[in-house]
Order: sequence, then C-alpha cells, then structure tokens
Amino acid sequence: MIQITDLEKFYKTEEVQTIALNKLSFEVKNGEFVAIMGPSGCGKSTLLNIIGLLDDPDGGSFQFNGEEVSNYNERKRSELRKHNVGFVFQSFNLIDELTVFENVELPLIYTGVKPAERKKRVEEVLEKMQIMHRRNHFPQQLSGGQQQRVAVARAVVNNPKLILADEPTGNLDSTNGNEVMDLLIDLNEAGTTIIMVTHSEHDAKYSHRIIRMLDGQKVTENILV
Amino acid sequence: MIYNYFKIALRNLWKNKVFTFLNILGLSVAFCVATLLSIASLNNLAEDQFHTNKDNLYKVYATEQTSKGPEEVSSRSTPFAPTLKDEVPGIKKITRHLEENVVVSYEDKELQLDVSYIDPDFFEMFSFPVIKGENTSPLSQKSSVALTQETAKLLFGNEDVIGKTILLQGQDAKEPFIISAILKDIPKESSMGFDLLVAYENNAYYKQTLDDWSSRFHSVYLQLDEGVTTQQFEERTRAFVAQYYRENIENAIRDGVQKDANGQYYQLRLFPYVDSVFTKFKGGIAKTSRIMPYLILCIAILILFIASVNFINMNVAKGGQRLREIGMRKTLGATKSQLFIQLWVESLFVFSISIILGLLLGYALLNDFQTLFRTSGTFGTLLSPEILSLFVIAIILITLIAGGYPALLLSKLGTLKALKGKMEARDSNRLRNTLIVIQFSIAILLISGTLVLNKQIDFLRHKDLGFDKSNVISIPLNGSLDSYTALSRLRNELQSEPEILSITAADNNLGSGRDGSGYMSISGFDYEGRSIKTHNLTVDYDYIETLNLELVAGRSFDRQFATDSLAMVINETMAKEYGKENPLDVVVSFDDSIRYKVIGVVKDYNFQGLKKEVEPLTFYLDPNVGYYYAFAKINPDKAVGAYDKIEKAWNKIEPEATFLGSFLDENIDRTLRREKVLTKIITSGSIVAILLSCIGLFAISMIVVNQRTKEIGVRKIVGASVPGLVKLLLSDFLKLVVLAFVIATPIAWWMSSKWLEDYSYKITLNLGVFIIAGLIAIIIAMLTIGYKTMHAALQNPVKSLRTE
Repeated sequence: MIQITDLEKFYKTEEVQTIALNKLSFEVKNGEFVAIMGPSGCGKSTLLNIIGLLDDPDGGSFQFNGEEVSNYNERKRSELRKHNVGFVFQSFNLIDELTVFENVELPLIYTGVKPAERKKRVEEVLEKMQIMHRRNHFPQQLSGGQQQRVAVARAVVNNPKLILADEPTGNLDSTNGNEVMDLLIDLNEAGTTIIMVTHSEHDAKYSHRIIRMLDGQKVTENILV
Repeated sequence: MIYNYFKIALRNLWKNKVFTFLNILGLSVAFCVATLLSIASLNNLAEDQFHTNKDNLYKVYATEQTSKGPEEVSSRSTPFAPTLKDEVPGIKKITRHLEENVVVSYEDKELQLDVSYIDPDFFEMFSFPVIKGENTSPLSQKSSVALTQETAKLLFGNEDVIGKTILLQGQDAKEPFIISAILKDIPKESSMGFDLLVAYENNAYYKQTLDDWSSRFHSVYLQLDEGVTTQQFEERTRAFVAQYYRENIENAIRDGVQKDANGQYYQLRLFPYVDSVFTKFKGGIAKTSRIMPYLILCIAILILFIASVNFINMNVAKGGQRLREIGMRKTLGATKSQLFIQLWVESLFVFSISIILGLLLGYALLNDFQTLFRTSGTFGTLLSPEILSLFVIAIILITLIAGGYPALLLSKLGTLKALKGKMEARDSNRLRNTLIVIQFSIAILLISGTLVLNKQIDFLRHKDLGFDKSNVISIPLNGSLDSYTALSRLRNELQSEPEILSITAADNNLGSGRDGSGYMSISGFDYEGRSIKTHNLTVDYDYIETLNLELVAGRSFDRQFATDSLAMVINETMAKEYGKENPLDVVVSFDDSIRYKVIGVVKDYNFQGLKKEVEPLTFYLDPNVGYYYAFAKINPDKAVGAYDKIEKAWNKIEPEATFLGSFLDENIDRTLRREKVLTKIITSGSIVAILLSCIGLFAISMIVVNQRTKEIGVRKIVGASVPGLVKLLLSDFLKLVVLAFVIATPIAWWMSSKWLEDYSYKITLNLGVFIIAGLIAIIIAMLTIGYKTMHAALQNPVKSLRTE
C-alpha cells in the first residue's frame, strides 16, 4: 500500500537547516499494523504527516497504492486523503463546537454523502465504538477515553484504507489507553491498515512490526508476528 | 451544509460571548450612526432635485468689476427680466421672484404669511403642481392668488376655497385676491418656500420701479432653451449689458477699474438652480461646493471603516484560537472554499444582526437626530432605487471585505500549520497594527476637528461685535399696523416700564431673527468723481444709543434738529470711502435737489455678522421708508420679566400677529447655525469613532494579553516588576497611537486651516489643540488597555505558566 524510497524532509529557519527525514525507505503492505518508535525529534511525526498527505517531502519517492503522490498539489492530496486516510491524534482534535454526532459526521459531509446515509453510518460507527449514548454531548462533556473513541469513530466513519494514529494513547490513562488499542486492533483485523507513532513499548506490542527511527533514519525493524 | 454553517456559527458566537457582544455592539452603533448621517447627507444632496426641469433652471447674477475687485450682484431690477427675454436669444422661460412676509386675512383670521411675487412662467419652470383650480395659468388675472394646500387648510380648514377672496396687506390698504388654484405642498427638499403666490405686478415697488434699472430687489430665474449652454448664453448677454448697464461701465472706466479676463466690466452670469443652497460667491463668481453633505457622508464611511477594522482585527486575532479546528477540517477534506464560506457565513451572521439592530436603533433615534442635526431626512430618503441599491452594494462590500478577509486568511493556511495552531503572526500583526494606526488617526482627526470647530464658534460667539447684543431685544414688526404706528404704540406701552430703557427701530435686523428674514440695501452714487457704494440703514431716533454704538465723531440723530431728516451718520469704513480729513464736512447730493450731510461717525461694528468684513454703512432718518424691526434695550438689573412685558405689550397692540422678539445674542447665535450643526456632527462622529476604536483596542488587548500569558509568567519568574510588565504591554499599543497622532496632526491642521479660510474673523491655529486631541486619544487608549494589562501583570506567574 505504501512504498517509501529515500524520502527526505528538511526544515529551514533563517540560519539553520534541520534534516527531519534522511533518505528513509520502507514499505507498508495492505492490512498491516506498523508501529513507529523513536526519541523526540527523530522524524516520526514528520513521516506520519507525509504519509497522511498533510505535508510534502523535499526528496525521494512516496507511492500510495502504486501511485506516486509526492508531487501532488494540495487539492489532489486533499481528495486522496479524505477518501483513503483516517487520523487519530494524541490530543484528539475534536471540534469543541460540534456534538459527538456532528464531529463524526464531518468527514462524510466533506465527501458529499447524503444526510440520510450520513445518519445511518454515523450511528453505526457510534454503536460500534459504544459511544452512542453520548451522541448529543459536546467533547468537553466527555472523558479523555471517550473523546479518543469519538476521534477513532471519526477516523473510521468513511471506511478509510489507512488509519494514521499519532500517539493515540498519549493523553489517556492505561485503562482507557488499552481500550483504544483494542479498538485499533479490531479495525486492523477487519482489514484496515494502521500506522501508529508511539513512545509506548506497551502499545507498540499490539502491532505487527516496529520501525525504530533516529535522526530521520530507520535504525531497526522488529517483526512481532 | 448551509444549516450546518449557521449552527456552528451560532455556537461559536455564543462560545465567545464577549467578542460577539463587542463586535455586534460596535457594528450596530456604526451602522446606526452611518445610516443616520447618510440620511442627513442624502437629504441635503436631494435639495431641489425634484424639479422636472432642474437641469435647465438657472439663477441670474452679475459680476461687476469695481475698484475693490470683482463683486457679485444677485438682485435684479423690475425691467430686467422681460427685457432680457425679449433681447437675448436662448431663454425658454423666465420669472422674477420676490419674497415678502405679508399679513393675510380671511374673515376674522389674520396671519403673517410668506408671499412670493412671480411671473406666469414660474409654474412651467418649477415643479410645484396645481392640484385644484386653474392649472394652466393660475395667475392669469392680476388679482388671482395660488395657495399651498397647507396654507389653504390654515386659513379655511377643510372648506372648498377656489373662488374665495382673501385680503393681503398692501402698502396703504388691504387688497382683495381671489383664490384661483391650490398647489401641492412644497416638498421638504425645496430651497424655495412660500405660502402664497401672486403675480409680480402686485408688489409694492412695481409701479415706481417699472423703468428703473438701478433699483434691484428681487431674484430672476430662467430656463434655457435645449442645447444652449450657460457659457453661450453669458456671451450673448454682452450687447444687452452694453446697452442697459452703460452707466456702470462708464463709471468703471472713469474709476480706472480693471476689466475681467474677457474684457468685461459687467458680466451677466448663471448658476444652476439646483446648486442654490450650495453656492457661495468668491471674487464675484458663484462657487458651488457640496462639501458639507459629502463631509457628513465621509464621516459615516469613516465610522463604518473603524467598526469594520475592529471586526477584521478581532476576527483575525480570534481566528488564531480556531486554527486546530480549521486544521482538523482540512485534514478531514474541507476545501479552501468550503472553509471560506463557513467562516464568512459566521461574519455575515454577525453583520446581519448588527445591521438589523443598527437600523432599529437608528429608527428609534431618528426624531432626536432630526432635531439635533436640523435635518428633515427620514428613512424614506434612502428609499429611492439608486440609493437603496448603493446602500445594499455598500453593505455587501463591507461584509465581503471585513468578513471575507479574516475568512480568507484562515482558510488559506496550510493544513499542518493550522493543525499545529501556528499562524504567521508577523503578517497578521502588521496588518492589525496598520489598521489600528488608521483607526486612531481618524479618531484623532475628528477630535482635532471638534476642538477647532468649538474654539472657532466660541470665538465668534464671544467676540465683541461693537454693539450691545446681550441687553437688546429685536422685535419684527410683522403686524397689520404700519410700522410708525406700531412703534409709537409700543413706545407708549413700554416707556413707563422700569425694565425698558429705550425703544427704537430700523429697516433691518442684526443677526438672524426668529422670523428668519433679513435684507440688504446697497446703493451706489458718485462722490467727487468716484463711485462709492454703501449699505443703507433707515433708523429711528435712539438707534445708536439703544445699541450702544460708539460715536467717534460728531453726534447722533437728535429730535431737536429738524434738519436731521437730511442727515447721515456713517461708520468708519464709510468715512474712509469719502476720504475726507474731517468726515463731518461731507455733503452728498444723491439727486440734484436734495443734499445730505454727515453729522456723525460711529465706530465700525459687525452689522453683517462675523462672516463678513465690516463694509461701508450709512444711517438715515427717512420717513418714506418703513421700519421692519423695533429694538428694545432692557435694564440689565431688571432683565427678568422684560421680555414678557414686551410680548404682552405687543399682543395688546397687534393681537393677530405672532410675537417673534428675540435677544440679539440669540440672533447672532442663529447665524452660526451651520457651524453648530457641523460641530455637532463632527463631535458626535469623534465620540463614536473614539468609542469604536477603543472597543477594538480593548478586544485586541484582551487577545494579546492572553497570547502573551506565558511570556508574562516567564518574565515574572526571571524578575520582571509589575510596572515594568505594564510598561512593556502598554508601550506596544501606545506606539501605535503616537504614530496615529503623528500622521493625523498635519492632516487635521491642513483641514482646519482650509475650513477657517472662509472666516474673516478666526482663531489662530496652534499646536496646542492638536496636542490635546492626541493626548485625549492616548489617555483613552491607555485607560482602555490598562485594565487588562494590569490584570495580566498582577497574575501569579505559576498560574500564567499553567495556561500552556
């Protein structure tokens, strides 16, 4: 599904150039669950942003489903992203002004799904995430675990092929964290590819493969299953 | 989708209640003020625009070259209009127009009404339609009269009035007139007003001036043939002028007067009738300026601008707190246009509420506004299709720019940057600061204007005019008695009253009385081979004493000298005109038989108000000229009750005529009406401008302090003092206000000097006024942001850091 070859990304300030990704190469197959680990500043989030089509690389190749997407413009990236990629963030990034239902409904609005169909799909996914009883609540009325469930529901409502999770349990206690990881496993078992950035060895063990990074490069790769 | 946008807009607005309130408050006030000011301005601009022939109607005047330079001559003589029409091609219609206050009676009713003496073309030239009676030529009979609806109602109630007879007070007796037509009421946009119209031939001076080209006392309006330009027409009048103004031209040549650029000594000219209320004469030429209504419109636009700037600044700054939402929406596939529309709909929502509230507020304040700003404009003024569409376009543009700019800025942000909550602070801060500087420049400009205007008005009001204005009451002699009888009865009634020191009369008022009328009598004559012009004032005995005019030579009129009926008292400027070492030696023959002698010289006083320099003036005791105003000097120690006593005496001798007496200082104040309205508008404009600017500044200071909470905490931890922090936070904003002061002051100075140019007597501009304006702005700005900054600086640093 994802083929990355010699990927490069630099950040420039007025005087300093920092290398975030240094000729990084790896591949993620359909249905895989890959964890990316490494110390702060090693380039994990940069990599995730590029894979999520939120950022573009400065060099190398990035193929998504066999298609070179590194040179896509914002419009094409957005098109590809909204139909294929779901995101789960450490800080949930729910919109405070929208209810649980409306937050989850949002990706469907942007992909042009009709209201009746939207209602059906949102309710389905909320049932699945066991958060249906909170459908009319606003994010600030929920616990952290519940908020991350909503974020996961929002990530999957469009049936994306790929879910990118950036430290999904980083703001949660262990019970809630485990629940979220179980959700991700369920999704992966149902066929969704997952790439997760994490600092937690515990969470990483849920994955099939751990890629460890340092200074923008891949240093080791552990296959767990 | 749109429903979704509105729902989110509402929730967002509710969430940021303070900002929403400040935004709506500012915009509503701005829309209210802008709408009211636009009404006043557009109402003023609509003056006389309702006449169907407006594009071809002109008023005739002349520019006469004199030894003192070119001078305008606005009034015309009786034979002028008919001769001009006969001899100069290009005139389609022409009418003479003389306006007088006349006592009109019907049965036992007696009213002082405004009568216009006109020629038959008047009805075809001006759009004052006949609604009842003779509508082709209402004044075909000399004894016909046309009334406005309102006058008919006033005199007759709801009776059918066509064919009824009313009496108009003539010079010697009441004359009967038969009502031939009722005219539709005069629109409030008309600069010409009248209650009754009668044929020109009925005026008291008609017969004696039938062939007299030198007595000028009425206006002439004409309508040019299609395709004839004013320039062509003016050129065509030269042969006419050469024939009928030969004497003026010969005198000019004799006095060595300079010709104008076209080689003329006397040039007839036209100015458009629709410019009447906007025309002033400068160098003998009519200059039209609609600066006043445009200035008002400009203030309306500036106020809207200030409110829109607040909106932009608050929304851009507040937008910084919505970046994650915007980033997340983009991540989930929202396009730029979808985000733009969403954010713009929010703005539109705020604007719509503000416009509705602003209009409602404007509607509620309209009556007070009309009284305060002396405008007859209503919301109806805005209802013409052109103005309405302009209004709608203006609102769309404002919402598009003020609402659209923040929306564009936020929707343009990169997804990742937005998601990380980062906005290029430098660019948006630069824009914010620029807008704050412009806002405060406008506010300082308006405050300076307010201060300069108030200072000038105060100067004019308190300047010594050379006569006693505080203890003299002028009383228009508007009753049916002839003026001599009225004056003598008034004297009899009041002479024993201790409150009244003296009573006199004259044929002209000082300042502008409650009757609103006044006139000018200027005559020219030859003296020792030179042409001299003087204002004439016919007075009764005691005039000079009653007004406390200072005699610098000779004596005043005295009942003991029978010869005083052929005596003149002149002012110092007139004495200079005669050029005699001893002005009391001057003897003048106006015609061959009668010789007038100067018996006294009074110190110059401002008999024409303060807008004009003192001109030559001659006083006469002329029993052939009626008085129009009585003047009563009251005892300052017994001032209370004096006015009431005069009114009571008046009502006894003229029970049917309204008493319109007023103190001379009120009359002088009335001549400053235009300045007062302008001052009120600029003062209110500056108050609203500074208020709105402060709302904006307050909101921005709130946001900035929030953004810098962490910085404040860190600075405190490393040892910053509270005053140091306050200074740090205040200085950023104060720099902007100081910059605004630097920008606004030269503009304010330039505009004030331009405005003052029109006044003969004016204040001297100094930097003090502008510094005060700047200080007011700075102090208000400091007070506005002081609270928030003090609050932030006093916070516990641990709490400040926790906000991260």
